[in-house]
Amino acid sequence: MTVISKKVCLLGDFAVGKTSLVRRFVYNLFNDKYISTIGVKVSRKTVAVPRDDDVVELTMMLWDLSASEEFNQVRASYLRGAAGAVLVCDLTRPETLDSLQAYTDDLLRVSPDAQLIILAANKRDLADQQQLTPAQIEAVAAGLRVPYYLTSAKTGDEVESLFRHLGRLLVASS
Amino acid sequence: MDPTVAQLILQDRKIAYAITDRNLNVVEVSGAADIFRNNHKTCLGRSLLDLVPELVGSEPVLADILAGELPRFELAWVNRATAAGQTIYLTMATLPHHDRTGQITGILHLVQEVTEMGTIDQQLTQSRNELRLLQGRLAHQNLELAAANAELRRLDEMKSQFISVATHELRGPLTAIRGYLEMLLDEEFGPLTDDQHQSLEVVQKSAGHLRTLTNKLLDVTRIEAERVELVLQPMDLPALVEAVAAEFGPQLEAKAQHLTLRAPPGLPPALCDETRAAQVVRNLLSNASKYTPQGGLITVSVAPTEEKGFLQISVADNGVGIPAEDQPKLFDRFFRAKSAVLTRASGAGLGLYITRSLVELHGGRIWFESEPGKGSTFYVTFPIADRPA
Repeated sequence: MTVISKKVCLLGDFAVGKTSLVRRFVYNLFNDKYISTIGVKVSRKTVAVPRDDDVVELTMMLWDLSASEEFNQVRASYLRGAAGAVLVCDLTRPETLDSLQAYTDDLLRVSPDAQLIILAANKRDLADQQQLTPAQIEAVAAGLRVPYYLTSAKTGDEVESLFRHLGRLLVASS
Repeated sequence: MDPTVAQLILQDRKIAYAITDRNLNVVEVSGAADIFRNNHKTCLGRSLLDLVPELVGSEPVLADILAGELPRFELAWVNRATAAGQTIYLTMATLPHHDRTGQITGILHLVQEVTEMGTIDQQLTQSRNELRLLQGRLAHQNLELAAANAELRRLDEMKSQFISVATHELRGPLTAIRGYLEMLLDEEFGPLTDDQHQSLEVVQKSAGHLRTLTNKLLDVTRIEAERVELVLQPMDLPALVEAVAAEFGPQLEAKAQHLTLRAPPGLPPALCDETRAAQVVRNLLSNASKYTPQGGLITVSVAPTEEKGFLQISVADNGVGIPAEDQPKLFDRFFRAKSAVLTRASGAGLGLYITRSLVELHGGRIWFESEPGKGSTFYVTFPIADRPA
């Protein structure tokens, strides 16, 4: 069995659910109360990913980063060495989709190899408050050339699929 | 520096450091080393990645430092959960460690616990973000309200248009009815019996009410569509009041009401539209008569106001007055005061709304004082016409 570890950054505006997605994926927990993250919270989860005739034990080091409107040295440090990223937007706040391009640009500026990116349009459970359509998400994902998932950290919908998809990409590229 | 003092400083500032060899195995650790221990009893000989789990996955960065390609790797506000479930904040700096010859022999990793500052920063960030979320929600709600408002305005315009069209359509036949009624009453088509005459007079009175109502509805639609145009000219207000009061002769006589007109000599002319100003006085006088019992007293006065540049007309009666709970709504469209219902006075609740609108179009004001059972006084002001120099 091959063992590898990869750094994955979660990027997106404040209160889109980055911490909740990590919490759901790593601990299968959810808390409705919004707690802002400052700096970075690193969590790890090891998943087994099949590759050819082998099974790769992939440790995903999930860097849950605070939202940032500016790019600076501190921000660059957080992004350095990332192998991939999860871009997160909130289906109830259209502006959070618009800012994903800037987060991607920042990431690739620091880590040009971090080409393995996936988009999570989160809070699909808030169906009556949604202001973004799947078509809008699809258009942005196509523009960024990344796959996307409509997730809910609250219910767990598509969270596992999202990270597993990224895991397969990380293993395939290593 | 005395090593003991250095240790004290490191402990006090909650700073720890670890030095590794080129394989990232820790060869020296000092200061507030509890930060490194996590669940490990010892630090020496362990991999730096065991002591600083946040660095797992950042091996390429550490390789760059060991290769001398990256002088410093700094991480601010690293969150770490304690065994008790609390969050502590750390700042970390990872640097190359050199021997005396300048060769990179490993990594120097510095950590400082900054939980106190981090907690304050987190609270500030939390408050700011919650405020921004609230702002976003409010902005969204405002948009929804604006859309709902626009729809209401559209419906209101449709309603006004309907009233306007319907009223115009009613007016044509009504004019014909009133014309033929007059001819009948003038016996142009032959003599009438007394019963026929009385019946036709009732019909004429009702047609008159209908005409008043259609006129008022038309006024309302014009006011709401801002289509009322005033022909402003200097007017002798006492003369205008006197002329309107004369129209009420029969009505006042029928109720044995006493009307007094008052105006000091030498008042300047007011700048107003003669027809609309007369309509204002007519409406106030009509209300005064309607809500004043048999034999009541009505006084209409014209006088300068305390407000410079205006003349004031007041219409006072000793009628039923207006209940306190009705007073705030008195100028609302279609509002009828309890006293109107109790006295069975005719009206659609449009007169005072129109009156206020007309007065305000002139740049004047309207207000009232009233005491139930004792009477009411309504005041309106019109601007004084500028006299030629």
